[in-house]
Amino acid sequence: MGSRTRALRVSAGVMAAVVLAVLVVPLAVPLDEQAVDLGAKLLPPGAAHPFGTDEVGRDLLLRCVYGLRVSLLVGVVAALVATVVGTAAGALAGAFGGWPDRLLMRLVDLFSAVPHLLLGIFVVALFRPGIWPVVASVAVTHWLSTARVVRAEVLSLRSRPYIDAAVSGGASRWRVTVRHLLPAVLPQAGLAAVLMVPHAIWHESALSFLGLGLPTHRASLGNMVNSARGSLLAGDWWPTLFPGLFIIVPTLALAGLAGAWRARLNPRHRSELTL
Amino acid sequence: MTTVLSVRELSVRFRMPGGRHVAAVGDVSFELAAGECLVLVGESGCGKSVLASALLGLLPGNAETSGEARLGDGLELLSADERTLARTVRGRRIGLVPQSPAAHLTPVRTVRAQLAETVRELTGARGAALAEAVEAAAARAAFPAGHLDRYPHQLSGGLAQRAATALALVGDAPLLLADEPTTGLDRELVDRTADELRRHADAGHALLMITHDLAAAERIADRVAVMYAGRVVEIADAAVFFGAAGPRHPYARGLLDALPERAFAPVPGMPPELGALPAGCAFAARCATPKEACEAVPALVDGVACHHPHRPLAEEASRA
Amino acid sequence: MLELRGITAGYDPRDPVVRDVSLTIGDGEAVGLLGPSGCGKSTLARVAALLHRPDAGSVVIDGEPARGWRHRAPREQRTAFGVVFQQPRQSADPRLRLRDLIAEPLRATGRRAEADTRVGELAPVVGLSAELLARRPHEVSDGQLQRACVARALVARPRWLICDEMTAMLDASTTAALVGVVEAYRRESGAGLLAVGHDAVLLERWCDRTVRWEPLTRPFTVSRGLRPRTPGPQTPDGLNTVPVIRVTQ
Repeated sequence: MGSRTRALRVSAGVMAAVVLAVLVVPLAVPLDEQAVDLGAKLLPPGAAHPFGTDEVGRDLLLRCVYGLRVSLLVGVVAALVATVVGTAAGALAGAFGGWPDRLLMRLVDLFSAVPHLLLGIFVVALFRPGIWPVVASVAVTHWLSTARVVRAEVLSLRSRPYIDAAVSGGASRWRVTVRHLLPAVLPQAGLAAVLMVPHAIWHESALSFLGLGLPTHRASLGNMVNSARGSLLAGDWWPTLFPGLFIIVPTLALAGLAGAWRARLNPRHRSELTL
Repeated sequence: MTTVLSVRELSVRFRMPGGRHVAAVGDVSFELAAGECLVLVGESGCGKSVLASALLGLLPGNAETSGEARLGDGLELLSADERTLARTVRGRRIGLVPQSPAAHLTPVRTVRAQLAETVRELTGARGAALAEAVEAAAARAAFPAGHLDRYPHQLSGGLAQRAATALALVGDAPLLLADEPTTGLDRELVDRTADELRRHADAGHALLMITHDLAAAERIADRVAVMYAGRVVEIADAAVFFGAAGPRHPYARGLLDALPERAFAPVPGMPPELGALPAGCAFAARCATPKEACEAVPALVDGVACHHPHRPLAEEASRA
Repeated sequence: MLELRGITAGYDPRDPVVRDVSLTIGDGEAVGLLGPSGCGKSTLARVAALLHRPDAGSVVIDGEPARGWRHRAPREQRTAFGVVFQQPRQSADPRLRLRDLIAEPLRATGRRAEADTRVGELAPVVGLSAELLARRPHEVSDGQLQRACVARALVARPRWLICDEMTAMLDASTTAALVGVVEAYRRESGAGLLAVGHDAVLLERWCDRTVRWEPLTRPFTVSRGLRPRTPGPQTPDGLNTVPVIRVTQ
């Protein structure tokens, strides 16, 4: 077993545990993550509270799991939306060329010219706080790179003889795009989506940390790090450390999975015999 | 004549998922002397490129080899470790003339820079001696000195091929291995490339060329080895093979008959899959006159692996 | 009749690789276009198949001028051509099984119903077994893949065939087999052929007439019959800038 296989297994294991935790814990543990117990505030990690409690006595382990649930939901949905939008825009621009291409790419330039966080904040500010404005904010700032990558890929594929053969065979522009070009870029787009999930989680955390994301009573990893600032200055490290770890570990695991995927997309040798 | 490469019963198998095996090369034996050119011909997928990779130690990890391939100085290539192969074999004892020179050259560096790097690496030359050695190396492959400062994309196909050949010649390796050096080139360029390679053989290099181009083979070869389904089915003097007598194995005869200047008639059928070779002679299914004996794999005897090889008329008459 | 009239084409309008070339192919005629690699003959072949818009000139198909190129060409004009390219790996969609690869032109033009029968007819002709038809391009050899590409070019019964270096990557036996397939189709259908290549012996054996393209010049030298092979002017690689027009009969 090579080190790459081991990294893949560890990543897959971590992600499986994460997904299991966020799905099962809220069903199986009958505790309320928002239950305030001022008598037990800022307890260090111990038997009753493995991760300790926060400044209003809420159990940190439970809040971390709930926070991760929200972050993953936001991350995955936002990455999916951004990938679908970006792939569609990139494929359209690349396959059709001409004015659709120019229009879409100028739009991409326009969005890219604005700092992402600023753009994200602007979108969030348009709506009442909640999950969907955050999803929209992440999607709006993240479809751009996918659109660019997909367009470049489609442009390079478009000059392949097999596209010529399809055109000569009578295929319409739409058929060439949907049957020959899109399937070729989907693995790349899928990889981009997986790589985007951690980005989206960070984006959500950043917005919440700034107080612009989810309502403060909702457990979100960004909210938790934000509200722990005061206690950290007082020397209480656990309300910052555990939510921080919950942001970093799934990020690394997802990056590991994406890396394995990428390695499969680019097999190094493809000799006539090692098919 | 000194033997430069001696291959004995070389076999290569690939382990495939599910415990299957693909026998890419089976029991190949031949000798190659200094100043001699042996051309290995066969259709795509017959195992000839795998053989070349085996000699250079460039097989993928799922390959298993047996037999031996010994260089003139006694080094056994199949059992040599990667360090030995990288430091003392590739470029130094075996020069590789690649299939697509354009892809073999680094696109962002001039021919001079690439030659200089190789010369420095292989000979340790520095300064003025290096510059001189670079020009000498270019001259040996007939690469015009005036084009040394060009980038690969500024070269025509012929010049790119010469640049790649110049790189292969730098180490003055006794054995040159040319893997499909003429694929995709036009006829004039094929002829010129073949003639240049021939010149290097005449200068004392042993040349092993792998190709599916019979015209290039005829132009350059001293001896021809025909590969079919991983085995050498015939090995013969080029003059006899391409001459009036012709080859003796039915596949080799069919291959020559397929040429547009001859009958232009294909060998019927297609070669068997290397992963599912028949128990007997691999060619029997396409052979015009299969016999009962063909149910056993024929050994390579007297240069031909066939139970009923074609006999030249003169020989036929003398037997009668 | 397929007429190329005064075609100028290339990838840089200031430096076209094809300059003012005219060529006519009669009904059922096979014309070989000979020239060294990189001379622009492949570009001309793409123009003829309506796959590349020329900078100047026109293509007239059976008396009717081409009304556009690539997707802008009317479908019945585009599908009048069956095209085979040099590199089968590059010209096969890696995700399609050979069966679907061959049937693709029929499916793309709403003739789905014919697909199975037509593939069933063509597979034995080009020598592909049912087992090979179920494989994807990376699971077959170059020769087997090119057999599928030839079948794809014939599947919609084109009136014209354009073969651009069809056999450059193939061994002698597969070359002879595929030329045989193309010729059998032409005998049966009366289709015309433009075969582009650099192998004079092959094209002269294959075609009724060959047309020779001199390096970096305005074509053509026209030759008829067997072996008219007059050596061209010897010039260093790609350095010949003097136009040469020679005609040998």
